[in-house]
Amino acid sequence: MTAQLSGAAPAPVRSGADRRRRRSGRPAWEEPPTAAGTLAKAVLLTLLVAAVLVPLWAVLVTSLASRDTIDTAGGMVMVPREIDPSAYVTIFSGGQISRAVWISTLVTVLGTTVSLVLTVLAAYGLSRPGSVGHRGLLFFFLLTFLIFPGLVPSYLVVTGFGLKDSIWSLVLPSAISVFNLVVIRAFFMNVPGELLDSARIDGAGELHILLRVVLPLSKAVIAVVGLFYAVGYWNAYFNAVLYIDDNDKFPIQRVLQSYILAGQSPNVSGAAVSLPGVTAYPPTLAVKMAVVVVTVIPAVVVYPFVQRHFTKGVITGAVKG
Amino acid sequence: MSAPATSPSSAAGSSPAPGFTDAPAAGGQAPPAGTPPVRARRRLRDRLRRDWPLLAMTAPAAALLLVFHYLPTLGNVIAFQDYNPFVGDDPVEAFWRSEWIGFGNFEALFADPLFWDAVRNTLTITAFQLVFFFPLPILLAVLLNSLVSARLRGFVQSVVYLPHFFSWVLVVTFFVQMLGGAGLLAQEMREAGMQPFDVMTDPDTFIVLVTAEAVWKDLGWGAIVFLAALAAIDPHLYEAAAADGAGRWRRLWHITLPGLRPVIVLLLIMRLGDALSVGFEQFILQREAVGREAAEVLDTFVYYQAISTQQWGLGAAAGLFKAVVGLVLILAANRVAHRLGEQGVYSRS
Amino acid sequence: MKPSLPGASTDRRSLLRLLGLGAAATMGGATLAGCSREAGSAGSATKADAIRAVLPAHKPAELLKPDIPGEGPIPDGYLSYPRSLVDAVTEQPGRGGPQIRTMSPWWGPAPPTVGRNSYLAAVNARLGVKVNPSLQDGTTYADKLNAMLGARDVPDLLSAPNWEVDKVARFSDAVKALFEDLTDHLKGDAAAKYPYLGALPTGAWEYSVWGGRLYAVPFPTDGPFAYAVFHRADLLAQAALAAPKSPQELHELGREVTDPAKGVWAFGSVFDMVQQFFGCQQTWRRKPDGGLEHKFENPAFAAALEFTAKLFADGLVHPDTVASKGADEKQLFKAGKILMYQDGLGAWQGMQGERVKELPSFDMQPLPVFGAAGAQPVIWGSEKPVFYTFVKKGLGAERVDELLRVLNWCAAPFGSREFELREYGVEGRHFTRSADGSPVPTELGRKELGAQYTHIGGRVPVKVRSGDTPDYVRDYLGYYQKNIALMEKDLFAGIKLELPANWSKIIQPTDDKIRDILRGRRPVGDLAQVRKEFLASGGEEGRAFHEKALADNGR
Repeated sequence: MTAQLSGAAPAPVRSGADRRRRRSGRPAWEEPPTAAGTLAKAVLLTLLVAAVLVPLWAVLVTSLASRDTIDTAGGMVMVPREIDPSAYVTIFSGGQISRAVWISTLVTVLGTTVSLVLTVLAAYGLSRPGSVGHRGLLFFFLLTFLIFPGLVPSYLVVTGFGLKDSIWSLVLPSAISVFNLVVIRAFFMNVPGELLDSARIDGAGELHILLRVVLPLSKAVIAVVGLFYAVGYWNAYFNAVLYIDDNDKFPIQRVLQSYILAGQSPNVSGAAVSLPGVTAYPPTLAVKMAVVVVTVIPAVVVYPFVQRHFTKGVITGAVKG
Repeated sequence: MSAPATSPSSAAGSSPAPGFTDAPAAGGQAPPAGTPPVRARRRLRDRLRRDWPLLAMTAPAAALLLVFHYLPTLGNVIAFQDYNPFVGDDPVEAFWRSEWIGFGNFEALFADPLFWDAVRNTLTITAFQLVFFFPLPILLAVLLNSLVSARLRGFVQSVVYLPHFFSWVLVVTFFVQMLGGAGLLAQEMREAGMQPFDVMTDPDTFIVLVTAEAVWKDLGWGAIVFLAALAAIDPHLYEAAAADGAGRWRRLWHITLPGLRPVIVLLLIMRLGDALSVGFEQFILQREAVGREAAEVLDTFVYYQAISTQQWGLGAAAGLFKAVVGLVLILAANRVAHRLGEQGVYSRS
Repeated sequence: MKPSLPGASTDRRSLLRLLGLGAAATMGGATLAGCSREAGSAGSATKADAIRAVLPAHKPAELLKPDIPGEGPIPDGYLSYPRSLVDAVTEQPGRGGPQIRTMSPWWGPAPPTVGRNSYLAAVNARLGVKVNPSLQDGTTYADKLNAMLGARDVPDLLSAPNWEVDKVARFSDAVKALFEDLTDHLKGDAAAKYPYLGALPTGAWEYSVWGGRLYAVPFPTDGPFAYAVFHRADLLAQAALAAPKSPQELHELGREVTDPAKGVWAFGSVFDMVQQFFGCQQTWRRKPDGGLEHKFENPAFAAALEFTAKLFADGLVHPDTVASKGADEKQLFKAGKILMYQDGLGAWQGMQGERVKELPSFDMQPLPVFGAAGAQPVIWGSEKPVFYTFVKKGLGAERVDELLRVLNWCAAPFGSREFELREYGVEGRHFTRSADGSPVPTELGRKELGAQYTHIGGRVPVKVRSGDTPDYVRDYLGYYQKNIALMEKDLFAGIKLELPANWSKIIQPTDDKIRDILRGRRPVGDLAQVRKEFLASGGEEGRAFHEKALADNGR
């Protein structure tokens, strides 16, 4: 498979619009692609995309299938028989979704901002080997990757700070990911030393260097880590289970999970809970799949914004050189 | 494999560590041996004057970790206790009023042959995935990067990273629907009059199956970091190389790979630090299908023997064991990287 | 105590240094010189006599005469919804106390909270005190419960499912540290103050005693059997096949109906029920000499294992069941892709009512229970309550009285206005009445109700006929009445067993080995070896523990 990866052949499929947007698709210095290479790439990419789109199609079709269709199929449906939006109606008419979307948006925006700012600052602060306390601090950060607090102590700390039922309980305990920190740090350390030195000679302070020299060269990694953080906050579930008692403050995943879990009522011996009339929402597979669709949509929407910074990174790189 | 796929809140699992290239022993911060103390102190003052902005920048993140990570981490003392959360007058008191039993939990752990089975399985799977999974996101990133059309690149990448957002239940369900005994493949084979095979229940090929599932789930997600790294490579380098007559293979070898190397080394070292975690839900779900011998990993062992039986001290002991192994592997990997002339994550010192 | 490892102290110190755990190193200082032992309790048990002495006097509340009277643990059956309802509670339960925080499990989307929920407002108005419920996800309840218990942060009323409580180690310590001792409020005739709590079955109360004191209000089970094998009676009838009456017939039926080309397999999971058909006990049974015999020692278990392993080997079990724990057997069963599987009896009404709307012929029925080779079948089950409700400790006798009065209201039985308000909400808002008088939830009712009061209150269980499953009540109660005599007596009913650590540890590894045999990864003959290992590494210890618990209790 490696054989086909090298070089830069034009895309197997290229739209006219794309050609217009990018004045020259392929740099002038690059050799023209070989037919074999192009074909191999096309096949490979098609397979990769299909391997995701086919199951995704099944998810989508199932989410729009009627209960009867699903019960007849005994599981996932591949061929649409009808379009039945009732799964989505169930989710969105519950009254909780809009509130939860708002809370999760708040948590994600707030959390990603706090996390990115603190992580970038710390990554920069740790990017100069030989500075005071450098190794000790690095060790301090890295150790958090190896050893974890238990359930009860974490609960005691968070509630001890009065954060129960506060959205900060969904932000602060998970605000710093050392994985993200060391990734950013690795990129920072790749910034050519001459650039930093010349800024320093011009009398620039560290913050100035970070903001004016390092960050503009690191947009790609900031976008990536921002994505990691945002995805983490958006998908945050377990902390909400622990720290949010107030049902009105549930974030989106906590609400969506409740649709998935509905009806998985206990099957333990003698625990059958059946009361006249009060059966929970009949949780069809359609609802579960609709939840998957709802979860995946923000991911589809958000990626192009991250991707845009990859290109910018390249351009900035060129300017610098 | 989760190393390139770590999100902030799910950091539980991934492990770390660039910067020990020049500090293989441990994280001491003393001045170099032999420096006279007085000079060292003065130098320290000078260095402090120079470096205080760096320290100030690091402080907020460190403070957060101190409060929300290290403070509760003290609770891990229960690894040395027969922890009873209900002794004493309040929950904090229970942490020092519980009976101290020294290394009893560790002894119980190490004396259990099932524990070592789990460790062996976990390390085998990690090693297998380092070879057959770890390189794939890199290759995908290079492949995507070679596409000229940004739109196509964006489309492919935003499609292939989606499975990361699927739960393991769903991923395993997909595989059962495709490859299981009642799945698409088996039914096709039956129609063609062949005897269907069932890869979902074969303990011998289980390692391949779980790796395939992990690749499907996290290939695209793992490629993101490498795409960012590729974007940071100066295009002029390629142009200059091409002008010197380097073909696409030579450019891949001499520019692309060296450009990616710091990130590759970093993620590799982190993955090693996390060698004793290969996933949990994925294995719980498929354990019955292939049996304990094939599917027991350390996290499932701890779940069955410590969490579900509420032997908290035993669980904490297993956690500390993982931390120690992770630390040792990280330090060793760093040293190896250093010996191989790899600058590691320090591009300069 | 076990002696520590040779040379341990140096090893320990270097290990600690390696860990870099400053705190652990200092705090562990004292123990480095000491000796070590394994963690985990040696187990404990509550005495049965002590249990009987603290139970509330049982006094049934006879509001409404049942059409099919229940017996013992079998609930009463009603074939119609009553036309006129009774006021069960005349005095307002609330005493003007502060709001009551509750937490209970719920499987499904959480309803709006107090202040935005007209159902809660209506019930709270009737109660005369503000109940503020927090509904937590039933599937992650254990995590939540562990954190809250460990941090000793509990609401005024806490409802906990029995299977979560069973998992909490040292629960009797937790109970003493966190919850109110209700003995003096409810023991004997004192329960007359709370008549609907006194009406709850004694069998359920028996399990609410820890350390000889009454600590919880039970939510009784509406059917004590653990499982039934459900089969698609409609499909068997179509194929003119009769329900099997012996293991051989069951196997033959399986062969007959399995057709992989059509995607149809006979079985989902059935092993637990097969054991019962073969007459195997759930765990322990009494030997003639008075000692205890574990099921692995019962030849019936070996026979059941061999039989079920053959079902797997012959390819009669659906591959999805074989391949993943996540297999959705209910879905496969509804689709007719499997024709028989075991499930709790609680699954019956919902699935039948749901599926019959699309497939009018759909008929799921529990397989009639049969024995193997002349042996008597056994049915596993117990009267263990579904949930326990605990009262936070230290609220004062008056507040406890208020809380118990609220629980008493929440336990008001079928046939009362309180029951209707609690289960269905306000007529016209949360439900409408169908022609036969039974309530039909409205959209708002579905949205706002989440068993907020039901799950904390306990209630005398009943079965009521509903329009979409007209035969259900008769079928359900009929199955119970027919088989209740086969139900295994719980030797340990009401005795709180906190099992020795070595026993708990051996369960999963042994299950794994049994499953290897079941799935054909090990020969059936290996059972003898598995049994030997089991007994040697904790099984005998478990036997001694259980025998002692029985002896201590004079059973």
